[in-house]
Amino acid sequence: MFKKSLALGIVSGLLAGIAGVIYAHLYYTINEADFSRVASTINILAASLFGGVLAAIGYTLADKWLKTRGEIVFNLVFTLISFISLLGPIAVRLPRNIDTPELFPGMVIPMHFFPALAWFTLKPLFVRSK
Amino acid sequence: MNKLLYPIAAVLILAASAFTFMTARGWQITDGYSITFTNDEASGIFKDFKGTLVFDEQNPGAGKFDVVIDVTSINTGNGLQNKHAKSDEWFDAAKYPQIRFVSRSMARAGNGYQVTGDLDMHGVKKATTIPFIFKRTAQGGVFTGSFTVNRSDFGIGKPGGEVPEPVKLDISVPVTKL
Repeated sequence: MFKKSLALGIVSGLLAGIAGVIYAHLYYTINEADFSRVASTINILAASLFGGVLAAIGYTLADKWLKTRGEIVFNLVFTLISFISLLGPIAVRLPRNIDTPELFPGMVIPMHFFPALAWFTLKPLFVRSK
Repeated sequence: MNKLLYPIAAVLILAASAFTFMTARGWQITDGYSITFTNDEASGIFKDFKGTLVFDEQNPGAGKFDVVIDVTSINTGNGLQNKHAKSDEWFDAAKYPQIRFVSRSMARAGNGYQVTGDLDMHGVKKATTIPFIFKRTAQGGVFTGSFTVNRSDFGIGKPGGEVPEPVKLDISVPVTKL
């Protein structure tokens, strides 16, 4: 079980990271706001992968402890954590020589939902619902 | 009378031209300046700063500073805090878009200098003394100074509250010769 969910976590994390990097580049181009010093390509990929692997561990534990209700609880918790994590970019203080910090949350907030989105989208390919 | 006209004119011209050499030197503010404010709860920078600086180490008394900070250029590193700082609760940037300092006197003080003048901030003008040092560089020089103001003296923010009253300002201004 863990093997499948880990594979799902890694793949969805990587896809979320790639989507995040593309989105960041689009955001830089559209808004002329460059946050690559604090949200570099490596940072975006690593954070997304971290989210995917964490989801894999959480899913396995929820499935093991809560049996049939595990998936429902996991989905709720994953979504809830994605929402709560938005406090991070809203409260963060960027280096002061970075212009327009007010545009930073607008770039990062959508990315916080990419791992969950990728996970829910790809899950049927890796793990069958009970 | 006509005999005296030309000698007097000559003396006046000589005196005026000599005075030109004694006049304090003007400096051009260059990029790389930094205006930071800090206390335990709030800190940030002002990105836009301009003005005229006239200063001569040998004759500081003839110096003159007239500088303006654009309040809307405040950057705390957080968008929400920037908006809050510009609001009428704090700097009220819409009503008071500039912070201005105009010197009245300048003198040597210890190893450096001090300038006294009017600091006009948030619609309140208050006499303020800023100690500073001036270091020569290959390109010109750098003015650096630090001083503390009480925000409530200028009606910035509510008195008391979470943000402490004293706010330290650190200024570093590289200049080149005009």
